[in-house]
Amino acid sequence: MRFIARYAKELEENFEVITLYDERIDKELLSKEKPITQTLSRKYPVAIWFERKMHDDFGIVFHDAFDTRPLVHQERFPQGLHPLLRAFNQVHLDASKYLPYKYEAIDGDGVFQVAVGPIHAGIIEPGHFQFSQAGEAILHLEVRHFYKNRGIEKMLEGKTLQEAKPIIERISGNETLAYQICYRDIYLQASQQELPLAIAKRNALLLELERIIHHLTDLGFIPNDAGFGAALTFASRLAEDARRKLQELTGHRFGFGAIDFKNHSIDTLSFKAWLHALQKDVLYFQEWITDIPSLWDRFDTTGILSFDEAIKYNVLGVVARASGISQDRRLNKFYIEHGFKMASETSGDVAARFKVRLQEIINSIEMMHNFLQEDTTSLSLESVKDGEYMSFVESSIGELFMTIDIKEGVIERFYVRDPSFINWQALHLMMQGNIIADFPLINKSCDLSYAGNDL
Amino acid sequence: MIKFWNKRVQEGIVTESKELESELTVIKKEIQERVTKKFAGSLAIRMVDSGSCNACEAECNALSNPYYDLERLGIYFVASPRHADVMLLSGLLTFNMTPHAKDAYAQIPAPKWIITLGDCPVMQAPFEKNYAINAPVGEHFHVTHHIAGCPPNPLEIMQVFLEFIRKIS
Repeated sequence: MRFIARYAKELEENFEVITLYDERIDKELLSKEKPITQTLSRKYPVAIWFERKMHDDFGIVFHDAFDTRPLVHQERFPQGLHPLLRAFNQVHLDASKYLPYKYEAIDGDGVFQVAVGPIHAGIIEPGHFQFSQAGEAILHLEVRHFYKNRGIEKMLEGKTLQEAKPIIERISGNETLAYQICYRDIYLQASQQELPLAIAKRNALLLELERIIHHLTDLGFIPNDAGFGAALTFASRLAEDARRKLQELTGHRFGFGAIDFKNHSIDTLSFKAWLHALQKDVLYFQEWITDIPSLWDRFDTTGILSFDEAIKYNVLGVVARASGISQDRRLNKFYIEHGFKMASETSGDVAARFKVRLQEIINSIEMMHNFLQEDTTSLSLESVKDGEYMSFVESSIGELFMTIDIKEGVIERFYVRDPSFINWQALHLMMQGNIIADFPLINKSCDLSYAGNDL
Repeated sequence: MIKFWNKRVQEGIVTESKELESELTVIKKEIQERVTKKFAGSLAIRMVDSGSCNACEAECNALSNPYYDLERLGIYFVASPRHADVMLLSGLLTFNMTPHAKDAYAQIPAPKWIITLGDCPVMQAPFEKNYAINAPVGEHFHVTHHIAGCPPNPLEIMQVFLEFIRKIS
């Protein structure tokens, strides 16, 4: 049984802790006076971040948990505050006394700690990596994030779905179309409407375009982190071309506001011509890059996540498919009819993740041909009914899960689990037997989101 | 590799907006003396994300692609604030990032400037002020210049950089 997410909500008299698996949902009520329950982290190691987050958010205590440090709240966050409680309504916090965070560290003769971040050397999002080193060799890595926490969950409470949309679009810029499609599906469940096939096709086209942009960027940056800059120059140009196509289709370079329940006219001829040119360039790139042995010396056997570990940590998306797990939310009738083929590699290393991205770009180009059509269907939205709604979308990183509770027409609880929230927790497993100089390469091969993770 | 160089020669240079180069030549002439004094001929930028959605960072990365090629203008993104003239600050200045953004700024040698990037730092994006957000940045830093947009596109960013060079001279 695959663990998907664990989150809490505050009811009138109780807290409710919801645990979602691929096969079932467990709900547990806890008293507000003594909110204590059993940890799941002994069986599902990735449950630990969910539980630490619930402690920060609501003050819920998990008995027998192997880690009870704060997660979202950092050194200067005022003690004893749980911002997701209804009663919490402060709009400003003063920094309180600095309480050091105790990092996971391996001690020993000659073992030393390397702290990296939150601000990194490149143009990257902020996050912290703490290494225990024996010379070049990495003994352990702790990933520590939530520097970007913007209190999105709290911000959306009390808003209508329409009011929430521009914020949901901007949770993670690289995955905005995936977030918007999750939102779309929740809206349609709440308004009890069916999505016309023609709109589903346009939306799916845009999602594949977003995936291509993200993967192309990575196809440049991964070799760049191994010192092969020419690949970045080549791939970043293709990524820019694709971004300009996205702007042509949606009026925005990232597609903010693009999922609007309407179809807009597409110049199918020029789009097809571009797809053909892109395919040619990607195949050329593949042939060229496959032929550079010094690059594969760096990729092969670097940063391995074994199949067993990938299963144990319930990893998602590109990372899962590179470690031999056949898991993709696009594995359904609609996508298969439009040419979806699951990418798969088994070696679990940087090379495998690189090859999965290449396969997915080629497959996405094929699917975009099939999604492309001239159409101007539009759907007028009905009003929404109260209830608890959930949706899933395969973003360019992996499975995105969103849930929204609507009560009296407004959002009572919003929660989203970015695939990064799970995959970050498996990153340290890839470090065994690698040297610290390969960390950027391994990290980039997973290319996880900080913004979507931190909320 | 020979195939790569063949393709490279066939395609030639794809860099766009050549007018920026001539604009820069004009600016250089106007302000040469002061630029040499202040920046030794080039402008070094330290980008700090204080809680964005990552779109602003993606656009800054795009500045290095062959279409924009920012470095031809003598403007560089640098790895350390100690190498920088300017801190380019994106995002909502979250509660958790505030001390680190302040640290980074303190590390930049004077004379130094702050340019805010995108609608977030000035609270013009759809996000609302709450406990986790310390924006607008102007309440915490002395901001010299602002690049509006959600996110601003690479060309807009380049144009504002040139505008900034002109203004501070």
